[in-house]
Amino acid sequence: MSMITIKNLSYQYPISETDALKDVNVTIEKGKLYALVGANGGGKTTLCNVIRGFIPHFYKGDLRGEMLIEGKDIREWELGELSQKIGYVFQNPFTQISGVKDNVFEEIAFGLENLGMEPELIREKVAQVIEMLGIGYLRDKNPFELSGGQKQRVALASIIVMEPDVLVIDEPTSQLDPKGTEEVFKIIELMKKKGKTIILVEHKIELIAEYADYVILLNEGEVVMQGNTKEILTDERSLSFGAALPQYSMFGLEMRKRGMDLGTIPLTEKEAIEAVKAWMKKEVKA
Amino acid sequence: MSFLTLTNVSFAYPNGYKAVDGVNMSFKKGESVAIVGQNGAGKTTTVKMMNGLLKPSEGDVLIDGWNTRDYTTAQISRKVGYVFQNPDDQIFHNDVYSEIEFGPRKLGLPEDQVKANVMKAAELAGVVPYLKDNPYNLPYSMRKFVTIASVIAMDSSVIILDEPTAGQDIPAMERLSHLIETLSKEGKTIITITHDMEFVVNNFQRVIVMANRRVIADDDKRSIFWELDVLEQAMLKQPHISRLSYSLGIGGNILTIPELADELAKHK
Amino acid sequence: MNNERSMLSRLYPTTKFFITITLCLAAFIVPGYGFSYAILPICMVLAYFAGSFKEFSNLAVKALLMIVVFIFILQCFFYPGKDIMWSWSIFSIKREGLEFALFLTSKIVAVASAFILFFRITKVKDLVYSLEQVGLPSKVTYVILSTLQLIPEMKKLTHVIMDAQKTRGVETEGKLFVRMKAFIPTLSPLILGSVASTEERVLTLESRAFSAKVKKSSIYKLEKTKLDRLVQILLLVLLVILIVWRVAL
Repeated sequence: MSMITIKNLSYQYPISETDALKDVNVTIEKGKLYALVGANGGGKTTLCNVIRGFIPHFYKGDLRGEMLIEGKDIREWELGELSQKIGYVFQNPFTQISGVKDNVFEEIAFGLENLGMEPELIREKVAQVIEMLGIGYLRDKNPFELSGGQKQRVALASIIVMEPDVLVIDEPTSQLDPKGTEEVFKIIELMKKKGKTIILVEHKIELIAEYADYVILLNEGEVVMQGNTKEILTDERSLSFGAALPQYSMFGLEMRKRGMDLGTIPLTEKEAIEAVKAWMKKEVKA
Repeated sequence: MSFLTLTNVSFAYPNGYKAVDGVNMSFKKGESVAIVGQNGAGKTTTVKMMNGLLKPSEGDVLIDGWNTRDYTTAQISRKVGYVFQNPDDQIFHNDVYSEIEFGPRKLGLPEDQVKANVMKAAELAGVVPYLKDNPYNLPYSMRKFVTIASVIAMDSSVIILDEPTAGQDIPAMERLSHLIETLSKEGKTIITITHDMEFVVNNFQRVIVMANRRVIADDDKRSIFWELDVLEQAMLKQPHISRLSYSLGIGGNILTIPELADELAKHK
Repeated sequence: MNNERSMLSRLYPTTKFFITITLCLAAFIVPGYGFSYAILPICMVLAYFAGSFKEFSNLAVKALLMIVVFIFILQCFFYPGKDIMWSWSIFSIKREGLEFALFLTSKIVAVASAFILFFRITKVKDLVYSLEQVGLPSKVTYVILSTLQLIPEMKKLTHVIMDAQKTRGVETEGKLFVRMKAFIPTLSPLILGSVASTEERVLTLESRAFSAKVKKSSIYKLEKTKLDRLVQILLLVLLVILIVWRVAL
């Protein structure tokens, strides 16, 4: 059974006159990383909100079609239940701290406290997550006094500690510097290895090329292309829908245009190196 | 002739923490320059000294003959415009038009001049369709363009953009490129802080690298992005295409896709 | 902070509150103003033992001095009375006024110092914890805690917004009037910004199962100790003695 099934889903925000999502059909399989891409305003965040159940439980409006999580419709799930099923991390690191805890350890524990877990068990789990994410040095700091990158990692830790099966991560790095971005992606990779299902919105397309299994391209509320990462991110048509392609794909396309076809469109740096080397061998021989 | 000069500038916070240490920079009119480096390297503190928001604890900042110590930020605002990183700290009107109009009106420009400035700025930033909207109903990336327009409208000689590329999509990036090009052609100095190396390659000639509160390099982008030890010290990476060329061991100083294709064509 | 170790600050919040209440009651039970004024130095001594003498004294003196001086001037000159002690032109100080001022200010000093002491030696976190223990809903305690935590954040944000205003040509330095004028435009981004972030914060809380329908647990623990018992009994005895003594008088 697939983890999440979305069938003919449309959604209109309460005061809006047009649909923010139009007839979306997507299937999310367990343990895979799905990247949502496309220009801003295309419906990426709205889709995340439906998957997490904030639509229709928190934002009202008109939701049509099916949105099944483990076969059960989103409307039938309770918001509280969903917090253990689907974790949500979003863009702004500053609003993602609870605001009531004065150290990182307790901040991470907050979600488990709300679930009424035994204090001893909470301590154990929090300590594990801190260890796993390598943020031990932040343990006693005040969450308000962390840098953006540190806050974002604490936000991730606070969600991961609740052990959801699915992680929805909406532009986690847009406010971060390259180092912060790298650290966040290390965590995402780790979660993927742990078998979590991940839905990620991210503008840094080279990172998507590196980590995602599947890409879903949204444009003006519609899913215009979806498929495995290689297929979507080497396809020139993606550009016309406002999506970016990795530099390596763009390079492959340029070579093809100039009549120096590499024989393949590379997706990542590694693929590009191999492709160029193979091409050079062939061309130099000829 | 240098228009904006920082001479041996340091800045320490009242608690003694030194955020910038002995920085020298100078900018000509019409130059567009990128400042790169990790957070905490001193980039934002440095640019905040360029418009007098922070006064140097040591050294001097001179703008068009003015020493920032002798003027308030409000006075300097006619010479240096600064777009904040977070648009929500800046917007305080109920419609986009009034927001953009506020700056030029504050400068006491004549009515028709104010109007002309607003329209020009709105067009460059691509916010003309939203002039009557409440800025808070626009998405984050569009709000950022509202704040950019509101600074352009003040028609200052220097414009500082603090991380304009954060969270922006392809169309927005293109709009930024166009805007920077147009303004620098008009003779304005554009100083941009960014983490996006591809954006730097596509839009700037000169790059200043900061690390550990100091300037560690200030040069043409072509030298900077092939100066591997400088990048390493700043914990930055080469642009993707340069990295690819480096790994392939071909060509010197390649930055863009066409350059790499040209180089490969030679090997054919 | 060394007040982690001091006995006084380790007391349970309700015990600390009991101290404050006892001090207040004592000020009203014991006649005259001398004892009530003495509550301030008593609190200073207690604060010293809690390791926050300086913070307490600064705050208490600053807050109280203005009020006390103001009341004295007002009451001495304007309280109706016949026993004139000193006069100049139409102004005169009457004995009745002076006495009333002494009475009023002494009580204010006593009550205020006792409460300032309480908030100085009790961490908000502890206070909220004990309130939750007596059954205050977690939604209410969340509001109390987050508001208190957010105040310094708001202050920081105000500075950032002021900076943004300066770069748009608003003068914020100089005379009071200039600063007042500059203050108004900072309000709307501050308020709108908080409204927008409230929505996100609600989602944050929801992501952390805040609405889960189970009894919450807490890894933060505060225990009532024997010491708490002892202090409470002592205070009670003290109060009883005071009352008996007062009635017998």
